[in-house]
Amino acid sequence: MIWTIVKREMLEYLKSAKFLIGLAITLVLITFSTIININDFKQRHQDYLNAQQEMKSDSFRVQVYRPPQVLSILIQGYDRKLGNRIELTYLNIPAQPSGYMGQLTSQHHRYLAGFSAVDFAFVVRVVLSLMVIFLAYNAISEEKTHGTLKLMLANRLPRDQLLLGKFIGGLFVVMGSLVISTIVSLLIILFNPAISLASSDWARILGLLGISALYLICFYTLSLFISVVVSRPSIALLVLLQLWIFLIIIYPNLSVLAAENLYNLPSEQVIEKRKETAFQPYNEEFTRVTRAFHDAVEKGDVPNELALRNVELWSIKAEKNYEVDREFGNCLSHQMNLAQTLSILSPAVLYDQAENRLARTGMAEFERFMDGVYRHWQKLVEWQKLRRIDIEAYRKTKLLDFAYPSETTAYGFVTTMPQWVILFLFSLILFTLAYTAFLRKDVR
Amino acid sequence: MQSIQFAVLLGVVIILFLANGLISIKKYSQQVSLYDQRVSQSYQNPSTVFFNLYRKPSPLLFMAEGGDKYRPYGYTLKPKGVLDALPSNPLNFKLPDIPELDWSFIIKIILSLYVILLGYASISGEKEQGTLGLVLSNSIGRIKLLVAKYLSILLTVVVPLVTGLVFSLIIIGIFNPKILTFNVLSRVLVMLFLTLVYLSAFALLSLMISSLIHRSSLVLLVLLALWVLFAVIIPNASDVLSQRFSKIPSEYQMAKREEPMIKQQVWARIDEIREKAGRGEIKTEEELKKETDRAFEEGQEGINSHYKNYENAMKQRAATAQNMSRISPTALFQYASENISQTGVKSEEHFIEDINNYADIYDNYILKKVGKLVGTSSWQFSSTIEVNGKSVNIESPNPVEYQGDKSDFPHFVESQTSLARSLRDALFDIAGLIVWNLILASLAFSAFLRADVR
Repeated sequence: MIWTIVKREMLEYLKSAKFLIGLAITLVLITFSTIININDFKQRHQDYLNAQQEMKSDSFRVQVYRPPQVLSILIQGYDRKLGNRIELTYLNIPAQPSGYMGQLTSQHHRYLAGFSAVDFAFVVRVVLSLMVIFLAYNAISEEKTHGTLKLMLANRLPRDQLLLGKFIGGLFVVMGSLVISTIVSLLIILFNPAISLASSDWARILGLLGISALYLICFYTLSLFISVVVSRPSIALLVLLQLWIFLIIIYPNLSVLAAENLYNLPSEQVIEKRKETAFQPYNEEFTRVTRAFHDAVEKGDVPNELALRNVELWSIKAEKNYEVDREFGNCLSHQMNLAQTLSILSPAVLYDQAENRLARTGMAEFERFMDGVYRHWQKLVEWQKLRRIDIEAYRKTKLLDFAYPSETTAYGFVTTMPQWVILFLFSLILFTLAYTAFLRKDVR
Repeated sequence: MQSIQFAVLLGVVIILFLANGLISIKKYSQQVSLYDQRVSQSYQNPSTVFFNLYRKPSPLLFMAEGGDKYRPYGYTLKPKGVLDALPSNPLNFKLPDIPELDWSFIIKIILSLYVILLGYASISGEKEQGTLGLVLSNSIGRIKLLVAKYLSILLTVVVPLVTGLVFSLIIIGIFNPKILTFNVLSRVLVMLFLTLVYLSAFALLSLMISSLIHRSSLVLLVLLALWVLFAVIIPNASDVLSQRFSKIPSEYQMAKREEPMIKQQVWARIDEIREKAGRGEIKTEEELKKETDRAFEEGQEGINSHYKNYENAMKQRAATAQNMSRISPTALFQYASENISQTGVKSEEHFIEDINNYADIYDNYILKKVGKLVGTSSWQFSSTIEVNGKSVNIESPNPVEYQGDKSDFPHFVESQTSLARSLRDALFDIAGLIVWNLILASLAFSAFLRADVR
């Protein structure tokens, strides 16, 4: 019996105008955004490769480049916005990458800062979720207004089977559109010879698909619930649309604003003060040694111990500065975490977090890169010290190329567990609510 | 006027406008104190080598922020009118990029959606219930009915809108009454007019679709698809599209050209001079210095213009993106409200115009005090050349700091953009909105006049 309902529901949805319009918009958007994002990624990847080849480091200035992530084609995240080059010396370790032109001149991206990306995540988050609402808003209430609900239940059909059948039927349609759009974008990626996906990327793409499905199920169960509770279909739709705009636009934005205003960041002057105090114990020696070093260079005879101490002190200064900067970075993270905690009830925010994490285009990947940069800088300092201790050994060794350990796919999945669980709980709760409401519903 | 619908709308709008008032007043006072601090610092010990000029925060940021947070808070002016952008005010780059909660956002996204929700059933809904035929069987003309429907939609939105605006203004007035000058209030009125024009376009759109399609759920679907297209997709996707149409080299390619350019434009010329000196064409040290100074300065100007060209190309690309998004009434409304609020791209342009005017005064001042005008650049070059068997150190020239009394240092005054000028800047966008209204109105009327009302 239940499969008869599933089949009927699916056919009903598939031939409806709302499904066709929704699917058409989705496919057009997915196709365009994938093609454009592939081109963008190819350009950034080529630049990255060329930079490594052509803008080489010397023994003083070490260049580190941030690789673009291949999955940013689907989920842009922060990948395009963050800088891609860091210049390290033993005198300085910047807290943030800049553009290829360097810290001072790379400001051109600000002209385009206001525009945001259209990618797979956007299509699922905004367009498909809207389509889901349209599919399911009248699942029960329409039957009731037409009087068919009463007729159906007059047969030997239990209520729970009816609801389950409707749920599964609609679910197939929703999942079908999601899978079709994913396949379209993957085909476009596959037909592009310049882009190769590793097997771990495929696992991650499956993860992206899974979390997208869970996100859409959330909205689907929500629509089902509202459709059971509200008797008139038009009112149900209005309620759902208002919930949609609240959950996707208003609530996440208000929580970011609240986090910005509740958690105050230290000002630039405070940071400067902290840097000064952190280096205070070395200040006197620093002035003495750098002056002595300067004089020795003028004379043309630099004792090794003095040169070594000079490098050491400079690197300590750089490290202290970096530590203060990192502390400030932690403050930024705290603010971000506060915003995320405040908006935990919004499926859209949970979805975004999980997607960014899985596609490696979020903040976690960036922090991982920056940790790698710090370790690389420590190696650079050791190497520079070696030059003052044992010049022969220094000439023989070379500073290794920059690399940072990549995150295992399993770990990526584990860290997104909270989002999976919460989204699943939302769906479960909403379905249970819909179920209990339907059992007690007056079907006449 | 469905009462629950209206109450929700009223509640949401009031909450958003209150939040807008509270947040923007805090942000504005922060920005003003930063600005005052910076300005007083730069005048404490003005320099003839470089001088920082800061942008005064617009008091109308609460109306349309216009990407202000991404803009530099000022420029460093160097001799010969060279400008370097300072960074933007500190921003937490880890937070998701959310649109600023200003009036223009509330109106262009939230209120336009509510207009659709209020208006989608106005014709098709009545028809479904069979009341449309009844209404028209009385002595009410179709045009009259349509106008009445249109006005009722607009009025229903205007009540919460005006309430919200007043709440926002009251909060601003309580915390910082100095903001609410005559200039600001007159701009608020213009903004109100703009809002009405913008929302009226969506009301007409709803009426048109509502008379064309008979089933009101389908009407709503079509309207929402259009809304997503106009309010979300076009304004965001225009950037990526402009990227396809404009062939600007990537930042990396520009950065890569720097080294060869320095070789070509600076060192090649220095080598020429070296050869000349070797042949004995340059005799004295002064003559040599004069030649090399010119070579260095011109070379550096070349590199500077290389960067300038890139920046202009990026500006051009952003402008193309904006122009492409102007198909959407939402984008038109956004740009018009930025102009009215003295934020956005145009206000940046006006600021740079002011700086360029000031640059001449600054250069004259340096000439008067120091005696000569030398350009600065971010690059330092030095080498040695042999003249008459004597090796001479040459260096790229640098501007000199005037050590004497600088109390007569010229002050930089940002010009006031008059309302008339702002309106002129926004003319195209306002005209675009009105054209949208006219087109949609005629379409709505013709659709309704031909609609089968049974």
